[in-house]
Amino acid sequence: MHTDFMTVFWKEWKEILLQRSAGGGGARQPLIFIALLGIFVPWRMGPQRFFNPAQLLVFTFLSAIVVTAVIADAFAGERERHTLETLLASRMSDRAILFGKIAAAIAYGWMIAIACAVVGTITVNVSHREDGFMFYRDTASWIILLIGPPLVAGAVATGGVLISLRAATVRQAQQTLGIGFMIIVVGMIFGSSSLPADWRAWLGRVLVEWSLTEIVLVAAAGILAVDLALLMAGMARFQRSKLVLD
Amino acid sequence: MADLAIRTRNLTRTFGSVRALDDLSIEVPPGAVFGFLGPNGAGKTTTIRLLLSLIEATSGSAEVLGFDTRTHGADIRARCGALLEHSGLYERLSAEDNLRFYGRAAHMPKAELDARIQELLTHLGLWDRRKEAVVKWSRGMKQKLAIARPLLHRPSLVFLDEPTAGLDPVAAASLRDDLAGLATRQGSTIFLTTHNMAEAEKLCSLVAVIRQGKLLAVGSPAELRARGGGQRTEITGGGFSDGLLDSLRRQDTVSQAFVENGRLILVLKNGASTAPLVSLIVREGGEVQEVRSGQGSLEEVFLTLMDEEK
Repeated sequence: MHTDFMTVFWKEWKEILLQRSAGGGGARQPLIFIALLGIFVPWRMGPQRFFNPAQLLVFTFLSAIVVTAVIADAFAGERERHTLETLLASRMSDRAILFGKIAAAIAYGWMIAIACAVVGTITVNVSHREDGFMFYRDTASWIILLIGPPLVAGAVATGGVLISLRAATVRQAQQTLGIGFMIIVVGMIFGSSSLPADWRAWLGRVLVEWSLTEIVLVAAAGILAVDLALLMAGMARFQRSKLVLD
Repeated sequence: MADLAIRTRNLTRTFGSVRALDDLSIEVPPGAVFGFLGPNGAGKTTTIRLLLSLIEATSGSAEVLGFDTRTHGADIRARCGALLEHSGLYERLSAEDNLRFYGRAAHMPKAELDARIQELLTHLGLWDRRKEAVVKWSRGMKQKLAIARPLLHRPSLVFLDEPTAGLDPVAAASLRDDLAGLATRQGSTIFLTTHNMAEAEKLCSLVAVIRQGKLLAVGSPAELRARGGGQRTEITGGGFSDGLLDSLRRQDTVSQAFVENGRLILVLKNGASTAPLVSLIVREGGEVQEVRSGQGSLEEVFLTLMDEEK
């Protein structure tokens, strides 16, 4: 299982990087993100806002966006390019194929988020070199930086793979995933205002009384639960006979 | 090792009301190059999918290398190589990376994999271009690479689904030579689907003909020619009008009658005599200069079988 997982991961990673470096808009996308969120924004906002834990949520969100573009290709791309059946005819287990594809997408999203954070840190330090070396110092920031992108990207990747498993084309998978992503984001923004008053009061108390680290940890546990639920749904949906005949 | 590479018993697969495979019973001995012939939609690809345990049979059973396809799909896939309907190549990756991926998937040790990649790509004349992305290659080169892929880990059984389809005659002939050479050197059992009869005749030691999911005939190419094709009579002369051809086709002893390169070709049923037909040709205004009789080709056997089943 481990060998097969690493084999799929290696192939996916190569394909992602080659796709991104093969010219066209896809090649520029990561560089645009890094230039914008790693250089321009940190240079304009300065160290106090940049090293605020809330800023790290932007990088976490970014990893989710990056994964959206990659994960749609996971199975729909193989189906579109007629490589899926050959892959399924190999000796590799269902789980190795599924986990390898998800892990490669998460790793890519995480890498872009970390690259933005590192470039941003360098930008802020260079533009404010008179203040000495600055970096994230609180526990919550480190937790968000290290587990935020993989957990959120994981939710997108595991959800995305469910869509990609059944989509006929990459475009169809991307569209479905994009719409789903927007519904969730809009739902989270506007849904909180429609919560019952006593729930909102409880949430307010939590935000005031709990430490930032506690809030981050609880949120991480919640997202992890979502990741695992979606992963299990993906495992249930991964059936060679259906994939071959779809 | 199992005494048979493949054994199916009344293997059936339906898709809704369509019987894609209907009571298929075949036996393929180890080391054979088995040609599975049939027109488009005959059930060839479905059979391969069933044998690789990629889909489940509606009824009947199949054993591949001694493993039941219903319960040991992973064991079967570990011991087989497959070139399916499409080449299955990752075109963004290089030729070497394509082979490396499937070699790693087959759990080949690195040193053995490196050596095998070099051996196959050198044999196929692709070694110098191994670092290039496959997308830049011609169709013939891609197909050669696609054939190297399932042979990489020296599997006991290789499925090749129309490996020369879509290639020009020169590329197809070259690929056939490569395939014959590789298969002979490796000693694997080969399950080859094709509707190219010349290919089957050249490569296969055993042939089965299938149509609309039903097995029509099975045997060596020589047996099939002798059994089903009857004799082929070639008549040199003139006046081979459409009316004459229609008259000949109405004869009970004639399976096929057509004109090829100015010669009248008759495919006769077993035991049929040529003499009455020559008389008929002359009576209907045809001119007979020379009559040559011999055994029909596999293609004629195939066409006869297709006609009989209509």
